[in-house]
Amino acid sequence: MTSAPVVFVVDDDPSVRSSLKFLLSTVGLHVESFDSANSFLHKNPPDAPSCLVLDVRLPGLSGLDFQRELAAKKISIPIVFLTGHGDIPMSVHAMKAGAVEFLTKPFRDQDLLDAVRIALERDGARREQEKEVMILQGRFDSLTSREREVISMVVSGMLNKQIADQLGTAESTVKVQRSRALEKMHAESLVDLVRMIEKLKGPSGLR
Amino acid sequence: MDVEPRDLTEEIKRLQRCVNDLVSVLALPAMWSGGEPAHIVHTLLDALLRMLQLDLVYVRMTETGGHAPIEMVRFAQSQKQLATPHEIGDVLKQLLGTAPQEWPPLMRIPLGDRDISIVPLGLGLQGEIGVIVAGSERADFPQQTERLILSVAANQASIGLHEAWLRSEQKRVASELDRRVAQRTTELAAANEELRKEIADRKHVEEDLRSSEEKHRVIVEAANDAVVSMDERGAILLANPATKRIFGYDPVEIVGKPMTMLMPEMMRKLHENGFKRYLTTGKRHLNWQGVEVTAQRKDGEEFPVEVSFGELTSDGHKVFTGYIRDISERKQAEDQLRASERNLQMTQAELARVSRLTTMGELAASIAHEVNQPLTGVINNGSACLRLLANHNLEPEVLRRALDGIVADGTRASAVLARIRAFIRKEQAEKDPLDMNKVIQEVLALAGRELYENQVLVDHQLTTDLPFVLADRVQLQQVLLNLIMNGIEALIAVTDRPRLLWVQSRIDESGDVLVAVSDSGTGFDLEVDRVFTPFFTTKAKGMGMGLSISRSLIESHGGRLWATPNSPHGAVFSFTLPATVRSPS
Repeated sequence: MTSAPVVFVVDDDPSVRSSLKFLLSTVGLHVESFDSANSFLHKNPPDAPSCLVLDVRLPGLSGLDFQRELAAKKISIPIVFLTGHGDIPMSVHAMKAGAVEFLTKPFRDQDLLDAVRIALERDGARREQEKEVMILQGRFDSLTSREREVISMVVSGMLNKQIADQLGTAESTVKVQRSRALEKMHAESLVDLVRMIEKLKGPSGLR
Repeated sequence: MDVEPRDLTEEIKRLQRCVNDLVSVLALPAMWSGGEPAHIVHTLLDALLRMLQLDLVYVRMTETGGHAPIEMVRFAQSQKQLATPHEIGDVLKQLLGTAPQEWPPLMRIPLGDRDISIVPLGLGLQGEIGVIVAGSERADFPQQTERLILSVAANQASIGLHEAWLRSEQKRVASELDRRVAQRTTELAAANEELRKEIADRKHVEEDLRSSEEKHRVIVEAANDAVVSMDERGAILLANPATKRIFGYDPVEIVGKPMTMLMPEMMRKLHENGFKRYLTTGKRHLNWQGVEVTAQRKDGEEFPVEVSFGELTSDGHKVFTGYIRDISERKQAEDQLRASERNLQMTQAELARVSRLTTMGELAASIAHEVNQPLTGVINNGSACLRLLANHNLEPEVLRRALDGIVADGTRASAVLARIRAFIRKEQAEKDPLDMNKVIQEVLALAGRELYENQVLVDHQLTTDLPFVLADRVQLQQVLLNLIMNGIEALIAVTDRPRLLWVQSRIDESGDVLVAVSDSGTGFDLEVDRVFTPFFTTKAKGMGMGLSISRSLIESHGGRLWATPNSPHGAVFSFTLPATVRSPS
């Protein structure tokens, strides 16, 4: 299901674009380049680890504005910034907003390749995590409302008897519901279940 | 007597007529009373002519009693006018001579075509008044009676004329007396008036003097300035109340003390020497009309004053009076003004520097971006090729494309730089012909407070009649101010020797105007020229741009700016600018 990673290059300078593509191709990376932020936005996001190599000074929307807009659109793609003449406040701002790296042109090839590698790994990991949460969410969604109530109480550390008292049912009923929920969630132990629930509560999981 | 009765009758008639005539003659003086000699003579002649039936009667009178000489002649009515009195007088003078006393009692003279008997009769006792001449054609003239009448008439006339003369003399004397009296009276009145005026004037002068003395006293007493007099020994004779306010001394405290007590220690010797020299040679060592010196208050505080001197000799002794004005406030205001001017200048310079830097910064950013784009391309292409080469995977076609890109990017980078250089060159300064010495003076004035506060002594050796330089005044001021401020900063650390700053202007060997700013400061060890490198600084707060900018400013004016070590301490910064026409127009 997961295909080869893609590096998106957005720079208005054709020579920079083509040389970046050439450099990145030497380490076997697939590169897609754009001359503006808008043309990148028209492209459907691929189902593969990807990152953005973005020039700060762009015609129209600037690199930093673009970063802000992507965040607003909940498009989380790691960004490696390139700048012709960057100052410190600008780079701090970019890094705080989640940029992987802020490179000043001209940069060492290794610095760029390292940054791109980190960005792709980060995106790969994020994708893995998102996929796992999605699976867990599917399992969680298959639980009955009573099973969800029971496991949320179990996870918070309550004993079966306490849960039965609170729900006004027999302790044996709670035991049955608990083991069914564990089974549905593919949890091998109570510890495993707690970890899964934590993941679901994570940034892109349960609200 | 045996006389014919008819003759007798005739004789009686004749005698009667004679008696009548005599009575008439004797009555004449009554008519003459108070008359003028001319009137007397006139009536006399008329009377004689009529009584004696004369053909002519002539009179000549000498000048008497202020009356003009009279010469008159009367002819009988039957006779026509024979001659003028003067012509008659001339004939008579020829015949008779000039002295009347010597004239004969009777003569017969020819007059015109006739002969005439004439009788001259002197007027006055000796004939001194004049002469009357009666003339008739008759042969029997003068008969006895006629001679009698004539002599009586002459006597009467003499008396009348004498009286008239006396009267007129009296009148003359009286009028002369009157005139003299009047003149004297006028003179006396004038003298009196003069005297009165003199008295009034004197009074006025006295009043003036009094009021002027009073005025002067009031002025001196009320003056804002201290007024202090001293004698030839330099001892204070007098001080006005303002002295207390300005110096803190009560006038009574200082009278009799030396004038030098109002001066700071360092000034005293100078004053004494100058004063002594003045007393012996009359040569003044400073301007007496408003000179700025330092004075000292009672509490020891030194302050600037403006002093004017006056000299007066009284009773053979010289008295010197000084009018001393406290100009601390004025100085302060001047200093403040100068400081604010300098601040303004510094701010302007700073602003110019910042804006230059900002422009430079922007320019640098622009340059960086414009140049870094192609450089990025070059480096990326190069790096990629190296990687492929390392993997033995570099195909010639790939390499060719990469090299094409590299060449294109390199060309592009150099084009960017060329474009920027062309842009920078467009910035032109406003250049005017300037007097370098004037610019130096301006900048020294601007830096005055800084120099004073840091106890830096300035010595300038400015060559007069320098040719003008074509330069931007503000930029030139910035360069000079920069060099001077640098000098001051280099001198601040100096504590073991005088802090000296020399500013020199002259014409160098190639005819350029050369300015040198030297200091006795810390100087620099080696690499003298490194101070001109941008961002090089030895100062804690320095940007390291001043000298670099100064050098480029001077170079943009076609000049040079360089540094050399000063001996034994410090540094010399010199610059040259090409000389231009002598005057600005």
